[in-house]
Amino acid sequence: MSIEIRGIGKRFGNFVALDDIQLDIPTGELVALLGPSGCGKTTLLRIIAGMETADSGQVLFSGAEATHLHARERKVGFVFQHYALFRHMSVFENVAFGLRVKPRKERPPEAEIRRRVMDLLKLVQLDWLAERYPSQLSGGQRQRIALARALAVEPEVLLLDEPFGALDTKVRKELRRWLRRLHDEMHISSVFVTHDQEEALEVADRVVVMNRGKIEQIGTPDEVYSNPATPFVYQFLGNVNVFHSRVHGAWAEIGRAGAEGGAVPEGSPAHGDAMAFVRPHDIDIERSPVAGGLESSVQDVHAIGPVVRVELAHGSELIEVELTRERATELALAKGQQVWLRPRQVKVFAAPTQPLEEGGSGI
Amino acid sequence: MSATGSLSVRKATAEPRWVRWTLTAVGLGFLFFFLGLPLLAVFVEAFAAGMPKYLEALADPEARSAIWLTLFVALFVLPFNVIFGVAAAWAIAKFEFRGKSLLVTLIDLPFAVSPVVAGLVFILIFGAQGVFGPWLAAHDIKVVFALPGIIIATLFITFPFVARELIPLMQAQGKDEEEAAVSLGATGWQMFRRVTLPNIKWGLLYGVILANARAMGEFGAVSVVSGHIRGETNTLPLHVEILYNEYNQVGAFASASVLALLALVTLVAKTVVEWRMRKETETLDAALPPEKTE
Amino acid sequence: MQRRVLPGFGLSLGYTLVYLSLLILLPLSGLAFKASSLSFDQFWDIATGERALASYRVTFGASLAAAAINGVFGLVVAWMLVRYPFPGKRFVDALVDLPFALPTAVAGITLATLYAGNGWIGRHLEAFGWKVAYTPYGIVVALTFIGLPFVVRTLQPVIEDIEPEIEEAAASLGASRLQTFVRVLLPAIFPALLTGVTLAFSRAVGEYGSVIFIAGNMPLISEITPLLIISKLEQYDVVGATALAIVMLVLSFILLLAVNTLQWWAANRHKATSGEAR
Repeated sequence: MSIEIRGIGKRFGNFVALDDIQLDIPTGELVALLGPSGCGKTTLLRIIAGMETADSGQVLFSGAEATHLHARERKVGFVFQHYALFRHMSVFENVAFGLRVKPRKERPPEAEIRRRVMDLLKLVQLDWLAERYPSQLSGGQRQRIALARALAVEPEVLLLDEPFGALDTKVRKELRRWLRRLHDEMHISSVFVTHDQEEALEVADRVVVMNRGKIEQIGTPDEVYSNPATPFVYQFLGNVNVFHSRVHGAWAEIGRAGAEGGAVPEGSPAHGDAMAFVRPHDIDIERSPVAGGLESSVQDVHAIGPVVRVELAHGSELIEVELTRERATELALAKGQQVWLRPRQVKVFAAPTQPLEEGGSGI
Repeated sequence: MSATGSLSVRKATAEPRWVRWTLTAVGLGFLFFFLGLPLLAVFVEAFAAGMPKYLEALADPEARSAIWLTLFVALFVLPFNVIFGVAAAWAIAKFEFRGKSLLVTLIDLPFAVSPVVAGLVFILIFGAQGVFGPWLAAHDIKVVFALPGIIIATLFITFPFVARELIPLMQAQGKDEEEAAVSLGATGWQMFRRVTLPNIKWGLLYGVILANARAMGEFGAVSVVSGHIRGETNTLPLHVEILYNEYNQVGAFASASVLALLALVTLVAKTVVEWRMRKETETLDAALPPEKTE
Repeated sequence: MQRRVLPGFGLSLGYTLVYLSLLILLPLSGLAFKASSLSFDQFWDIATGERALASYRVTFGASLAAAAINGVFGLVVAWMLVRYPFPGKRFVDALVDLPFALPTAVAGITLATLYAGNGWIGRHLEAFGWKVAYTPYGIVVALTFIGLPFVVRTLQPVIEDIEPEIEEAAASLGASRLQTFVRVLLPAIFPALLTGVTLAFSRAVGEYGSVIFIAGNMPLISEITPLLIISKLEQYDVVGATALAIVMLVLSFILLLAVNTLQWWAANRHKATSGEAR
């Protein structure tokens, strides 16, 4: 089942949670809604599920109007961040719930319910826990049961709200790979909300980056990471160095040089206020002066696992550069040393009308 | 799609409108007949014969002595309840010891025991045929059918209120702050004055309000031990009973209206304190760094 | 023994124990002392006398009926107060505590006046031939008044704490609102409902002040046990009163135990039993 979202808007009092959202989710895709807290991603998911009503706009399921359908008529599976398992029911009864509440005519016979629930529990590899209660399970187990429960009614769309948000890092990594495999086996459309860029980039077919109630960019994980459409996306996906071209003449030059190479999108200003974005691993350090290189001094060098992070200062600005271990050994950098920086890939945007500090994880 | 269209959609977790309205009507109707109407009736009956009769009934010397006795008893038991409540809550909430749950159950006992049984128990101890009866008589000390009996019965009935309010509160607060105070060199009293007391003051006040309402309104236990001596051992609730049984409707309801007024003051005070307590926890939460809001 | 960091343990516990001993254990031992002058046969004769048995029937029957009424309407009131907006909600919410704050004697004479044949309510009921005041129905009315806040105040926080996600999950799985209530919400609040009803029942069994004015107090018909104790006492039958008091006291203990067990059960019913759960 495909989902189409047409001009959805939602306000909470004066707060605009969603502003004229347009989004198509084709059948069979696994889509991530990615953005910082308060960007409206969960609200959008809840509107798709019918748990929240939009102030304006339409939701279409497979081309048919679904805006006014009640949550129970939408045939969507919803998985909550905190699982929302029924505490007083065993694992088995939790999964069976959706089948048991069907109208009598559609309700499968008891043997069929039993078979389907056990199949689902096997699918999530927890059939040995059928008689336990939710409070006797670990977080990861609970989330898998919540998934099995949502799948029991054979939904055509699976919606997951920060499904791994409450789990620790190791379990989270395991579960998201497992979700990817599950999605491929079930042939359904899935939408999941996350604020974790790594999770979105790893699992999803397409990533929808949201900020302040608007969609900033829609694209494959590779597209949004290597070719961010807006400064926000650039900052939200990974670490980045930001240069104001007016202040740093040398880098504006580099920016323009980049523009010649086609890295700067059309419409980017060649003159005036502009910002240049460079990822830390897209900067080379040279020990001798290079044409257009930015002279700076080494402040600190940290070896972090496979990479070496170098902090440098140009005037009062701090610049972060990531090198491979080999390159770092080659350079043998010391604190206070003068070096020259050369960007390999730069992206220039017009200076924003609003400050950028929101998001920007990791800087 | 227009904005008006979405109004017809019900939230996933709301009942249909007719269900909401029916339940609200049933709930409010029930409260009106069982709580609102009786409260209204007290005042209507009290003023049924007009203001002069009402004031006359309250100016009656027996009524006035009953009011004074009630106030005196309530004030007298107050410090006992506060000290017991704080001491019991301190021991129970901040320390681990064997038999703690038994102790908590014992504190609940006056809530479970019929007030009549509570009164009777004191007759069996201090009454003429009681355990200490002969000794008390020999020394010419009157407990039962006198003020001491009323006070003891009231103490029994009211002692759990403050403790019951403070125990969960102090358990929830934990002992980190007190331990910090001690580690910074505070003496026991300084720690209590400056750390514990500010944290529990609203809960303490809440317990005192409830205990006080019960102290002024207690009927069963006091009725058994007081002996109903007019102008001497008649508390206001007992005075109400006597007048009512004498078919002095206006007099009974005039005194009852004073008690109802006290009840209303209690409800207002209780609501205000609840509101303060909630506000305090809210500001505490607000002071913490915001969690993820979505 | 581990050294305690905080001061005042000995003092506070010692004071608590002395205070409780003087106020509870000493009087109870007095009761036991008095009871020891009774042989078991004597005790049994008094405790199962005709009038005593009738009074138990009236007391427990009316208490049970009142607790059941409060179970139903208390749930409606608590649900309404938590879930539905309506004007004057804060006032209504505060009013629920009236039976805690209003002296029982005041409640008693007021209810008796309201439900008497010429009262505001009694007038209309008697038009249908239903006498409430001075009959066992009157006792039920008074005990309903007394017990209501126990049910409402026990339920309110539990209803407030229901996570909305639970209801949303049920809705997204296709459950109707009624199915969600019966299968998901009611099981979640049932222990609290049962606790509240038991508390109301326990209070009703011992209630005296609000009942005696409206009950009519006819021996064998509308005489409650606490009143029978008092009338025995007024006839200087201290032994008889003691025997009945012991019956009441034992029942109070059982009810107290029941409430504690219920609360323990509610807190632990689906907790890990195997110890394996992480």
